[in-house]
Amino acid sequence: MEISTKIKESFPSLEPKECPYEQNGYHLSIEATKSNIVDIARFFIKEDFYLADLCCVDYIDYLELVYFFSKHDKLLRIKVTLKIDPEKPSAPTISHIYNIAHWFEREIHEFFGVLFDGHPFMVYLFLHDQIDFYSLRKKQVPVPDEDKRLLNSFKPEEQEDGFFLNLGPQHPSTHGVLRVVVKMNGEYILEAIPVLGYLHRMHEKMAENRTYQQFYPNAARMDYLGALNFNLGYVTTVEKLCGIEVPERAQYIRTITCELNRISSHLLWLGAFLADLGGLTPFLYTFDDREQILDILEAVTGSRLTYSYFRFGGLFNDVDDNFVDGVKKFINRLRSRFSMYDRLVTGNVIFINRVKDIGVMDRSYPIRYGCSGPVIRSIGIPFDMRKHEPYAAYDRIDFKIATGTNADNMDRYLVRIQEMENSLDIIEKALKELPTGPIKADKIPKKLKPPKGDIYHTIESPRGELGIYIVSDESDVPYRMRWRVPSYSNLMTFPELAKGTLIADAIATLGSYDLVIPEIDR
Amino acid sequence: MCTLDNIIQIIGKEVARLILGLIGVLVVVVVNALVLTWVERKVSGHMQRRIGPKEVGPYGLIQPFADGLKLLAKELLTPANVDKPLYYLAPVIVFIPVLVSFIVIPFDGFLQVKDINVGILVILAFSSLSVLSILIAGWGSNNKYSLIGATRSVAQNIAYEIPLLLALLPVVFMANSLSLRDIVEAQREGWFVWRWQFFAFLIYFIAATAETNRTPFDLPEAESELVAGFHTEFSGMRFALFFLAEYTNIFIASAIATTFFLGGYLGPVLPGVVWFFIKTYFLVFVIMWFRWTFPRVRFDQLLNFSWKILIPVAFANLIVTGGILKL
Repeated sequence: MEISTKIKESFPSLEPKECPYEQNGYHLSIEATKSNIVDIARFFIKEDFYLADLCCVDYIDYLELVYFFSKHDKLLRIKVTLKIDPEKPSAPTISHIYNIAHWFEREIHEFFGVLFDGHPFMVYLFLHDQIDFYSLRKKQVPVPDEDKRLLNSFKPEEQEDGFFLNLGPQHPSTHGVLRVVVKMNGEYILEAIPVLGYLHRMHEKMAENRTYQQFYPNAARMDYLGALNFNLGYVTTVEKLCGIEVPERAQYIRTITCELNRISSHLLWLGAFLADLGGLTPFLYTFDDREQILDILEAVTGSRLTYSYFRFGGLFNDVDDNFVDGVKKFINRLRSRFSMYDRLVTGNVIFINRVKDIGVMDRSYPIRYGCSGPVIRSIGIPFDMRKHEPYAAYDRIDFKIATGTNADNMDRYLVRIQEMENSLDIIEKALKELPTGPIKADKIPKKLKPPKGDIYHTIESPRGELGIYIVSDESDVPYRMRWRVPSYSNLMTFPELAKGTLIADAIATLGSYDLVIPEIDR
Repeated sequence: MCTLDNIIQIIGKEVARLILGLIGVLVVVVVNALVLTWVERKVSGHMQRRIGPKEVGPYGLIQPFADGLKLLAKELLTPANVDKPLYYLAPVIVFIPVLVSFIVIPFDGFLQVKDINVGILVILAFSSLSVLSILIAGWGSNNKYSLIGATRSVAQNIAYEIPLLLALLPVVFMANSLSLRDIVEAQREGWFVWRWQFFAFLIYFIAATAETNRTPFDLPEAESELVAGFHTEFSGMRFALFFLAEYTNIFIASAIATTFFLGGYLGPVLPGVVWFFIKTYFLVFVIMWFRWTFPRVRFDQLLNFSWKILIPVAFANLIVTGGILKL
């Protein structure tokens, strides 16, 4: 591989190992050391790789930091591992190279106790300061005394040159329970610091305590708006890990229901975004449309919000003609509604003035922050996991990817509107080609015991790249499960974007991300 | 025996008329607020593809009473560390200009508490006072959202009072009087909105929407930014007074527009007072229509719009009107 030789040239001491992509979800794996990890990160950012994920696995004898570097323009994922001593765990930070590592490293610090040398703000990301053990370690490790000084929750102090305003956790515009501490000077924002963890439920720890089947409903609780997509992400990862083949009909139905779910998520965002801008009426209109999707999905899946429709190797039950007719009717209905939204919203002068050229993202954001979904597509990069790394039936259906050019709030709005239309096309094509046959693979064992190994798998959730990393130790319980969620990396861009803007613009920008907080907090 | 005549004799005819008028005004204010809350809920309901209140009374007509009763029964919370005199005073002060403004509005040829020869000046002077109450409400609440809302409100009201005044002046020129009844009477030959003052009407209406803090200019209480703006910390009856004042302000703004541009109580067949209310409530409906259709403008856009567009246009209109009248 081309990149493999390049790495060998730059780092003679490294030995890149090629891995079977079908099994592992990554192409190369490299074992780094503390002394060269920073240079490796520098090398990857020069080669236009973004840091897809950074997590830690506790193997009792040693802790392993796992870095995933991926590319936007082609499918290439490289796993870099770094073994560290569990007694006094520390590693050099790469947060000055990849901004996204800033939060990743804080997260690893609070769950594993790994100290990152040179990290500028080593404070807990999710937990409060009463927690005195590292929750994701396999053996109970108390927090050492010298580490306790870092355990202070964020409490801003009043300063001379501005005042602090707490946006949230109970604020109308921070949907859910996000708290953003903004330092303001009059109406202008000097600094914005997101404070997370108000909905933290430790799904990653829960995964280590239940079987693969038992953990399944948790996926929908992370992102309640894109629940089917999260379900699918989890199910496909485990299927890939166990080598389960899924029948064609099930793949198509998965695609259709996931796209319906995507539209319903985008519709809710549309209403909420306009409510953020002060237009309250569209919210009710989009809910009206969303209701139709929920009715359709309720008829097949049995629930309206947190679905558990997919099964390992197939589906819970088959769809009938009623479903097909209902979806067709809905497609026609929504298409006619788009022109109304256009007249009501897109052409409105006040709306245009509020979103055009506001919250313009820099071209370096995708690499530095690893943002994904409509946020990255508004920059003009056609990065969509459905095309990039196809799953379900997406590789058999031809569809367009909506992109923007200006990377402002208007583009993020337009991209999502366009995406809803594209999703309708996908559903229509999938319905036309819907094959007959079984909906469930035969001989799925009651207790899944995947072979030893690890896997990184991604799907495109309504908000962007959802990555799931599972380490299996041949038991029926995952050894470690890691969720890389899209809102997390999207929100990370907010402090930089909000700096120096008016509070009203910052709130419009925050709305344009389409954040789902339980997904960030997990 | 103490009869009504005796009382009137004792206190004098003029004072008796004022007291009676004030009682009448209070009734109108409260009834108007009740009607408008119901109308707003119905209008917003139908604009948003829902029905609005329908359970309490026929068509939900009793709903405003239920709402009012709820507000009366609620506990009056006083947050810690508020500036007590200001905090308690603000909801009261917000109500004074509202009451005074009603005194000079002619509901009909004879139905007016008192015709003051500088009527419009009284209204404008007192409506400026409402800014003061918003400012002390925001300052006294010990809440940053309230404070931002209040400062926004002051900047906004200063910016929009100028075009408001400039839009009304040409009409004063044409009617040659500051008394509201004279202005209405001057429109016997035709409403001013059709007699060259269409732009003045537009400017007035936009500025009045901003003065009453309604969408798209509802920045002092912008929900998605400032939670509830200057009245975030007010609960129960204190909040109700702000609420009452808001709806009454909308009514007054529409009533002035009716008086100045739409011929006030003038109209065929029906009695004048009916015409007055039809016109006024139509304008109120338009303001509500704005609220449920438009998103909110940004603060700098709001100020720019006033200083860079409304004020120059209003000035040009004033000069042209004055010039034509002089010639």
